[in-house]
Amino acid sequence: MSTTMNNNQDNTSNTTTSSIKQPLQSARSVDTQSVLKRLQSELMALMMSGDSGISAFPEEDNIFCWKGTISGSKDTVFEGTEYKLSLSFPNDYPFKPPKVKFETGCFHPNVDVFGTICLDILQDKWSSAYDVRTILISIQSLLGEPNTSSPLNNQAAALWSNQEEYRKMVQKLYKPVA
Amino acid sequence: MDVISNSKDANKKKRVNRSAKLKQSKLDVRREQWLSQVKNKGSKEENKGGVGAKVPVSDMHEGNEGGRGVAIAKLVISAVGEENENEGLLMSDWDSPSNSPTSNMSCSLASNMSNRSVINFAGSSCRSSTSSSGGCGCFYSDMTEEDDGDDGCLDDWEAIADALAAEDVKNECENKTDENENENGVEMSFESETERVKEGVVEDREKVNCRAWRPDDAYRPQGLPNLLKQNSFPMNSDRHYGGGTVWGFKNVGMSLAPLTCPICCEDLDLTDSSFLPCPCGYRLCLFCYKRIFEDNGRCPGCRKQYEQPDQGNANAALKLARSYSMIPRR
Repeated sequence: MSTTMNNNQDNTSNTTTSSIKQPLQSARSVDTQSVLKRLQSELMALMMSGDSGISAFPEEDNIFCWKGTISGSKDTVFEGTEYKLSLSFPNDYPFKPPKVKFETGCFHPNVDVFGTICLDILQDKWSSAYDVRTILISIQSLLGEPNTSSPLNNQAAALWSNQEEYRKMVQKLYKPVA
Repeated sequence: MDVISNSKDANKKKRVNRSAKLKQSKLDVRREQWLSQVKNKGSKEENKGGVGAKVPVSDMHEGNEGGRGVAIAKLVISAVGEENENEGLLMSDWDSPSNSPTSNMSCSLASNMSNRSVINFAGSSCRSSTSSSGGCGCFYSDMTEEDDGDDGCLDDWEAIADALAAEDVKNECENKTDENENENGVEMSFESETERVKEGVVEDREKVNCRAWRPDDAYRPQGLPNLLKQNSFPMNSDRHYGGGTVWGFKNVGMSLAPLTCPICCEDLDLTDSSFLPCPCGYRLCLFCYKRIFEDNGRCPGCRKQYEQPDQGNANAALKLARSYSMIPRR
């Protein structure tokens, strides 16, 4: 049984599909039910909110994996760019944060070459009161206001002071996902 | 017979009213005999009592319910003569206002038949319709009785019947009664006797009729307005909602609380809604609170550490949550 649970946990971090399809322990399925409800509620709220510049939607077969989109805010060096992200929700969401990564390459002090994001609310400052919408809004604002003191991308952090050069670098490295 | 009834049409109402009074007086004469025969002292007894003496109120109520039918039946069975039958029929007719339009219908139907079967039929249908139609019928019966003293009573009753859209049925009923009355040839005596009895009847009946139903009567129809009930309802609700300052506070809080838990999106019940775990005002259900409390114990709304659950609300929360904790969590 413990093996099954471990498998489930591993699956949630990567592709949650299998964790749903597998016969789940009853307790786990209760959890899953409540997470489902929360995610469905979030999806509804997100679609109704009509926030500009952010969007997210579950993958076809798995509501535990979402694809999100962020467009660079106006008056920032990321203006005119659009970034895709993946959100993977654990079985104990929202008590634990989702894993959020950039799918589109992003030249940013707090984003590494693998798309990993260094954002406190996605780690130790996570609160179960956050949701997909607030995460995406936070990441959108992170683009324009990086924390250069603890960078994942040192080159980007170094270049941040020169906004003109930085904008050129963003445009040069920007490869939108088809 | 048709000619007679037609000629009498103009005075029909008045006559019916009088005949009702007359019937009362006659019933009064046979009261003792009835008492021995009728198990449930029916509404007839109420009428009798109006003339004669004090009738136990409970008896009266009983009569309005099931007793009437029985009484009528008994009357027929023990019918001494034509007069008696006539009385019975009149009784069934006169009683009909106290019942639903259905009973009126049955009355008119009945009068098409022979007198004996009529009475039985009317009686039984009166009983059934009384029990089924409950409150309004008896309420009207009360009104009718009170107004009975003056000749306008039938007009009053008709107004009510109008409201019930039952006027036609009733008129039909009256017609039939008239016919029977005339047929029996007792009308003249009715007229004179009624005049004599009238005053006394009115006076005595008022004593009894002012309370057709006691509020605590077991047979009192549920549909009747009940002061006790009306009074008791707010009291109950007070007890439920306004019992104490705590409840009052919770009510206020409930209106501010979200309908669903922001964490799990499940509906908040009353306990959840009145549960305020953090001074910042962030609300969540007890299950989610317990889970967070056992994890990092920080309020999702303000990230402050939750206080130790040493107070009533938190204890209740933990107790509730403990029952939920049968489900293992990571």
